[in-house]
Amino acid sequence: MTAATRTYWLTEPCRIRRADNSLRIERPDDTRVHIPITDIRDLVLFDHADVNTAAFSLLNHHNITVHVLDHYGNYSGALTPADDMSSAPVLRSQSALTSNSEQRLAIARSLVHTTAANVIWALDTNLLANPLEQLTEQLAEASDTEQIMGAEGNFRRSSWEVLDTMLPPWLRLNGRTRRPPTNAGNAFVSYVNSVTYARMVTALRCTPLHPSLGFLHADTDRRRNTLALDLAEPFKPLFAERILRRAAAQKTLRKSDFESDVGRASLSNEGRKKVSELIRTELSTTVHHRSLHRKVSYEELIHLEALKIVRLCLEDTPYKPFRPWW
Amino acid sequence: MFVVVVYDTLAQRNPRILKTCRHYLHWVQRSVFQGELSDAQHRSFTQTVKRQLDTEYDSVLIYRIQSPQLVQTETIGQHPGTTSPVL
Repeated sequence: MTAATRTYWLTEPCRIRRADNSLRIERPDDTRVHIPITDIRDLVLFDHADVNTAAFSLLNHHNITVHVLDHYGNYSGALTPADDMSSAPVLRSQSALTSNSEQRLAIARSLVHTTAANVIWALDTNLLANPLEQLTEQLAEASDTEQIMGAEGNFRRSSWEVLDTMLPPWLRLNGRTRRPPTNAGNAFVSYVNSVTYARMVTALRCTPLHPSLGFLHADTDRRRNTLALDLAEPFKPLFAERILRRAAAQKTLRKSDFESDVGRASLSNEGRKKVSELIRTELSTTVHHRSLHRKVSYEELIHLEALKIVRLCLEDTPYKPFRPWW
Repeated sequence: MFVVVVYDTLAQRNPRILKTCRHYLHWVQRSVFQGELSDAQHRSFTQTVKRQLDTEYDSVLIYRIQSPQLVQTETIGQHPGTTSPVL
């Protein structure tokens, strides 16, 4: 991953073809766009795409992951290139770390607690002080990851309610629903969360860590990668809650950006473009990093989070989950 | 670095330069490409282009700018190419 590369968001149905050792995207309106292969960090597909082996072998050669999101914004999988970053010492200590239940629980607790603090930061509210206190109590008592997840669920329920008070009526979540999301707000949150997860998968691919040896989530969570799910957790409020709040305040989102049906909702074509543009600009926002003494983008923060786990594995540096400091 | 590449080569060598440019940069207009390159990418790009040129006849101009924020682009008329990563 070089600093100059970018993520490409394919929001329309398209065909991905190899042309002149580079990529050509063919769209239904017969327009073709050539994208330089050296400029691609990864591809995010929001709609049907057709990839052939010629294109796939080129993607594999350039180490590009293709993330696939389904119609309702759920992460449905990835075409991942062969793993060339593997390192036995890191993997060995990662598996030792995750099989030691004491260490595992400690990290899971700190992940949940930090996520809760990040939610409060993103919502900029003092209405969640009580739920946070309850969460802290429940976390101290919890003796396995399921109880920790339960405590997290309780906190999240109150946090979604607080978020609802900041949104116009048509965008309210009225309880978080997934698979499929039942209303516009839920559809938006599903999309953004899947993208956050996809960013974490890409970041983990740049490290020798195995993405499925995690701390908090259950090992068999719909065949998704546990570690990526865990580490994406503290970043979710940074994107989902904040972008949704801002989009509502600035009236960037319209009803026409969503396709709402009875009991299910998803983004419309225009909506997908708009949302990926929103996420893209958010990911490229920079903040000053206090110990690196330079500006880093949110995208890079996700990468740094993955590196923290590498340092935990190799150097025993205590892991502190991401917390916004600005 | 942000790079704008303009090439003017003999017609029979055009496709080869075009292919090389497509590998690294976004097409914005006939024989004009632009995009961001890392130092290493820039090096390999210039080397590949050099190998494909007849330096007696052809010319390729590469404008280098430290960051894309420093470029103000104004377009009059058509936008033939796209450089946005949201497609």
